[in-house]
Amino acid sequence: MNLSMVEFLLQQTWQSIRRNGLMSLATSSNMTVALLILSAFFLATLNLEHMADVEARKANITVDLTEDADAGEVEAALLADMRVAETRYCPKEEAFEDTAVTMGLDPATLLDSLADNPLPNAIIAKPEDPQDMAAVAEAAGNIEGVAEVRYKEQITDKLLTLAHGIKVSGVVAGLLMAAATLLIVSTTIRLTIYARRREIRIMQLVGATNWFIRLPFILEGAFHGMMGGALSTVLVLAAYSWTNAYVDRHLGFLDLVYDTTFAVLFGLGALLCGVLFGVLGSLVGLHRYLRHI
Amino acid sequence: MIHIEGVTVVYPDGTRALSGIDLHVERGEFVFIVGASGSGKSTMLRLIYRELVPTEGRVLISGQDVAGLPRNLVPTLRRNVGVIFQDFRLLPDKNVWENVAFALDVVGASRREKYRKVPLALELVGLSEKEQSFPHQLSGGEQQRVSIARALVNNPAILIADEPTGNLDPDISWEIVQLLANIGERGTTVLCATHDRVIVDGLRKRVVSLVGGTIVRDARGGGGYDEP
Repeated sequence: MNLSMVEFLLQQTWQSIRRNGLMSLATSSNMTVALLILSAFFLATLNLEHMADVEARKANITVDLTEDADAGEVEAALLADMRVAETRYCPKEEAFEDTAVTMGLDPATLLDSLADNPLPNAIIAKPEDPQDMAAVAEAAGNIEGVAEVRYKEQITDKLLTLAHGIKVSGVVAGLLMAAATLLIVSTTIRLTIYARRREIRIMQLVGATNWFIRLPFILEGAFHGMMGGALSTVLVLAAYSWTNAYVDRHLGFLDLVYDTTFAVLFGLGALLCGVLFGVLGSLVGLHRYLRHI
Repeated sequence: MIHIEGVTVVYPDGTRALSGIDLHVERGEFVFIVGASGSGKSTMLRLIYRELVPTEGRVLISGQDVAGLPRNLVPTLRRNVGVIFQDFRLLPDKNVWENVAFALDVVGASRREKYRKVPLALELVGLSEKEQSFPHQLSGGEQQRVSIARALVNNPAILIADEPTGNLDPDISWEIVQLLANIGERGTTVLCATHDRVIVDGLRKRVVSLVGGTIVRDARGGGGYDEP
């Protein structure tokens, strides 16, 4: 393939995109919507998983000790469990001070009003893998000298369940959208083939190869995919950066996945997906309609 | 050059278009294929540019069996066979020059090659002056000349003309056939299907007559539409 062939192919592609202006617009828009929906699901899943992960990493198990327990022995027993990464002894005085500070009170004043420190000595244990939280907690409950085991199981589990749910519905919605997009692209290509049937006929007669006849249509599909990818990236990133700013301002405890590298990778991913969809749609259209000419 | 041997063509709907045809055409020969509508003229020509493959028998072009040709080699065959039709088949949004260059574009000719070959082809058909005109600005005869220029611009060894004068006035028809005869004299093998009695009688070339899908007469030494 030489330079004038490439020039001719690009010219043919551009001509047919322009000639079917409205249909081209519809195809690119549809591709944009499809990729928008896919992107939204992707971002929601990604962030929920990220949040669940952050929460899980923060989470640890608080092992309350009985009055007469030997903290050293309990700690050794906890560390003997291979799933436990680290432990820290937290005497009741420290726990009391922390609680008071969290409540915004002066520890001395609080102690006065209570007469006695009601909190037990405790050991804080961190599992290697947040997934092992429940199992480690259960095992810790059986150690002698342990009064109670506490951990924030609900929030992590709930986030992970939600992320999983969104991922599944995202994949289902994504597949449906992908199928619809393929259908629309292949229909556009079919119309283009129909509009250019004289030309295709002449091309076949003067000895153009089949791939040479097909390439402009494949490029056209890729063009719609690229337009959809670019437009959806711009829209999604604009909305996402607004959301990120809002979350920063009002929901400071949340942390979204957001930086330049991420934005660039996300954009490239969306473009690639778009081009892939476009090319696949074209191939379906060509397969279904070109042989009839 | 062209060797058709025991060829039968039956269309999918059961129509028998050709029955046991044998025909041999030498390089540089000019042959009229004559017969009424539906006698199998077009079918015979379509075998040569492999628009059709025979149900039975063989079609050899320069010794090569075209029915057995792999799909990817069909374009190569077609670059060696120029085809023109009754309805010209020009692209309405391209001018004369672009219509002729189109045949070079799709085979990947370089810009330099186009600028060398297109003017030669247009000069051959006498349309050098009209290269910027669009098809709708040309007469029927001129449009057919453009399609001849397009068919010849790749220098094919064979030129197939399927009713080239079907849409033209008698005077213009005669000019077009003269042009085809000139092309034949330059060494191109020409097969021209027609039911135009006047041009066949006027040119006195080899005439093959088809009736109901069979060759009933082959006036090898040159003849008229009906008489030997």
